[in-house]
Amino acid sequence: MRPLRDPRDYQEERRLGARVTVIQVLFGAVLAVYLMTFWYLQVVRADYYRRLSDSNHLRRVTIAAERGLITDVEERPLVGNRIAFNIRLDREKTENLDALLPRLATVLNVSEATLRDRLARARGRPRFEPVVLKEDVDLKEVAWIEARRLELPMLSVEIESRREYPHGDLAAHVLGYVGEATEEQVKSDPEDLFDLGDIVGKAGLEREYETSLHGIKGWKEVVVNSHGREMQEVGEGRPPSPGHALRLTIDLDLQRTLEEAYGEELGSAVFLDAKTGAVLAMISRPAFDPNVFAHRFSQDVWQSLVRDPRHPLQDRVSLSKFAPGSVFKVVMTIAALEEGVAKPERLDHCTGSWRFGERVFQCWGIRKGGHGWVDMRQALIESCNVYFYRLGNEMGIEKIAKWAHLLGFGQATGIDLPHEESGTVPDPDWKAKAVPRDPIWHPGETISVAIGQGALEVTPLQMAVFAATVGSGGTVLKPHLVQAREAREGVEQGNDNDAVLRHLPLHPETIKVVKEAMWGVVNEAGGTGAKARIEAYDVCGKTGTAQVFKVSRDIDADKLPKDKRDHAWFVGFAPKDDPQIAFAVFVQNGGHGGTVSAPIAKAVLERFFAQREGLKGGLSVASAAPPR
Amino acid sequence: MSQARRHLGSFDGILFLSALALQLIGLVVIYSSTVGTPSAGAFQRQAMWMALGMTGLLIVLVIDYHTLAEFSVVFYAGCCVLLLLTIVFGRVVNASKSWLGAGGVQFQPSELAKVATILMVAAYLGRDQVRGLGFVRFAAVSGIVGLPVLLIMQQPDLGTAATFMPLLVGASFLAGLRIRTIVILTLIVALALPLVWGHLKPYQKERVKIFLEPTRDPKGAGYQLIQSLIAVGSGGVTGKGFLSGTQGSLQFLPEQHTDFVLAVVAEERGFIGSALVLALYFVVLTRCIATARGARDRLGAFIAMGVACVYGGQALINIGVVLGVLPTTGVPLPLLSYGGSCLVSTLLGLGLVLNVHMRRLVN
Repeated sequence: MRPLRDPRDYQEERRLGARVTVIQVLFGAVLAVYLMTFWYLQVVRADYYRRLSDSNHLRRVTIAAERGLITDVEERPLVGNRIAFNIRLDREKTENLDALLPRLATVLNVSEATLRDRLARARGRPRFEPVVLKEDVDLKEVAWIEARRLELPMLSVEIESRREYPHGDLAAHVLGYVGEATEEQVKSDPEDLFDLGDIVGKAGLEREYETSLHGIKGWKEVVVNSHGREMQEVGEGRPPSPGHALRLTIDLDLQRTLEEAYGEELGSAVFLDAKTGAVLAMISRPAFDPNVFAHRFSQDVWQSLVRDPRHPLQDRVSLSKFAPGSVFKVVMTIAALEEGVAKPERLDHCTGSWRFGERVFQCWGIRKGGHGWVDMRQALIESCNVYFYRLGNEMGIEKIAKWAHLLGFGQATGIDLPHEESGTVPDPDWKAKAVPRDPIWHPGETISVAIGQGALEVTPLQMAVFAATVGSGGTVLKPHLVQAREAREGVEQGNDNDAVLRHLPLHPETIKVVKEAMWGVVNEAGGTGAKARIEAYDVCGKTGTAQVFKVSRDIDADKLPKDKRDHAWFVGFAPKDDPQIAFAVFVQNGGHGGTVSAPIAKAVLERFFAQREGLKGGLSVASAAPPR
Repeated sequence: MSQARRHLGSFDGILFLSALALQLIGLVVIYSSTVGTPSAGAFQRQAMWMALGMTGLLIVLVIDYHTLAEFSVVFYAGCCVLLLLTIVFGRVVNASKSWLGAGGVQFQPSELAKVATILMVAAYLGRDQVRGLGFVRFAAVSGIVGLPVLLIMQQPDLGTAATFMPLLVGASFLAGLRIRTIVILTLIVALALPLVWGHLKPYQKERVKIFLEPTRDPKGAGYQLIQSLIAVGSGGVTGKGFLSGTQGSLQFLPEQHTDFVLAVVAEERGFIGSALVLALYFVVLTRCIATARGARDRLGAFIAMGVACVYGGQALINIGVVLGVLPTTGVPLPLLSYGGSCLVSTLLGLGLVLNVHMRRLVN
């Protein structure tokens, strides 16, 4: 500063200088503190803030994988995917909504109220997110929208993959259906294939083979701004890898034949390859159309299916159990012969009923005054109750139960479906646990079981497996639905050796008696299964009737037509000497087994043998059957 | 040697270049943080204001600061009239009337008032015969600073009003405010504080509360503070790079090119960038203070210190907000932030300092 005139001025100048220094130090100190703060935030805590910043603007968007296809044994599609078009509205580009909505309602053929409702539901969502106005529109509507791109820029068409079941309700219970994954399913997903709300299998094969069919979803990383709008894709990501295809053992032609032959009846039927246990055709009625589950269907469709007293969603092949009726006499025969309780020559006299203790047990032959003197084969052909009442009484429940178990009853067959009913083979131990009110086994109960009634319950699938066991002479097979599935690397063939659960060392004599009798049921004059007879193919079978009141807990009788008829069984295999196919046909309220069930079996068997002959020599059905 | 050439030789190139560097950094960051957002175009406007401000700086430089001080009353009165007009005719932005339009160009008279008030205070306190600052003369200085502050508070723009406070405190301190006066003033302020709190607008109260407890409302008022810290911290040592910042350009950080421009610098340039900016401010402030020290007379010293206090103080407030050590005030960072009025005002202030520096040697 300048030279001074006054000592006081000089002093003041020095003071001023000191004060300037104070301010300077103050500024410097604050800047130094700030520098340290920057250092703390940007060097010490950098990783922490970097993570916060990344979670701010990076979003991982998943890309769904195409679901695997399902085909029949000839690789004809049974389940596929198709492209569905959804019409969406971009609210950011919409200026005059009130003028637009009535017009859209007309074109899309939905009420204006529905459109307003959809928009109202999207109110909380960011505005740049388009609102789906109508799902799965037809190509005409898509064309209308596309042609008006300039005029209606706020509308866009979204493409979505949807599960498609081209044959409608055909084999619906085998194929199952898909739906949005529930929390429970996500938890039990060890491979972390899907998230809440993803489309996953809910029933049938769609569910059983979920991990194969689902595929591995891909992802991409996107940058979003503070409003959540996607700004750009980051290089990182993984494309989705599609689900693997399933080739079933089901034959579409046989399945169609079965569906047609079954008509409007209720119940189920299953046809197995008698050598391998492969399911060739399988039906459960009433059925449902899995297509209705493929999109976010309205609640009403679901409710109507669940509330339907006929339970259309229930698979009556593997999930419903019924009394086996007279079919069980085949088990009785095998048990008696193998245990040495009786010889085939054992004769008994039927008068139409048998008094045991206080009770009189009826034989259906009572109308003609009983079956008279019958041997074991004849008793089986004519299904004489009295013969088996006494045989059962002689044998005792333990031996009956032992052979029922050995032949596959009272346990799951192991079919590749998500759930399976085991059925019930009653014995004293079972009763002590299952019926605490009356834990004692009464001898009369053995007599009921002997003709396939009482607490005895089997599934149609167990019956078909049993038929194959009889046909093969003691080989118990594990039924299966999948012939081959694509694995992560290459194709994994279904191994038929795995299909053999166990061999029962049955005496050839036992098999001979049983097979002869079952052949007689179909082929002898007056046999109960005569309607299944096919010239030259030696169909063997056994009819059965299950009393309705025994199974009334499975159906709500009050809501059904008051049909008091019994359930009809027809179980068998063909041909007798080298069985190719085994089956169980079950018709609810079908009355007597042979009347309704046998023709259904016949239709499928004819088709089956025509195919086999066709493969061998290119012959048609008619010429395939040589004159006998 | 002619006077002009001698003046040119005394030109403070370091101060000028440091200030220029800060402006250029500002331009780059404004571009990077607004490209692709609704604020794109701020870059071009800022460049135009920079040219205008530089012209203003030159004009201020050419006229001897003694002459400017003589007319300080005129400038001061003119600014007060403009502030009055703003209150009446001003354009409302963010609930406050702080903009005055003139033929399509909008500016904030409050920014201009800073320069005029600095000059006015310096002219009053810088007379050589004045020594010490008693209560009466302190009251006079308070009046000079208080009038524009009161007018600006009517807009209401508390942030800008607050930037006048360092001038009052700094100038009073330099002039030799007595300890006794300081004690009395502290008491008065302490007593008045509850009254002031009562008169604060709800949003102003909220800002103070949020500052005291930022996680109180992370989606609302605390959001800005948290996002600012994320921007700064995530820059790390070297930064995310030009155009690669995400906090600003993806609009997570509001006011990314104005009040929080330093957060974007920190994000894109890292600790190296923030340290450089702090260093440049340190140089600018040091040069201003050195000018005050070497000034030819008290007037020059008070002008230079006034500019240092007003704009230096404003910078410290802004950086404090960005770092979360001060409550959100809505004050731009001089030289760096987007905003024409503030930039022009700062350049005029620096013009005054350069003026004093250039004329420090007596003929």
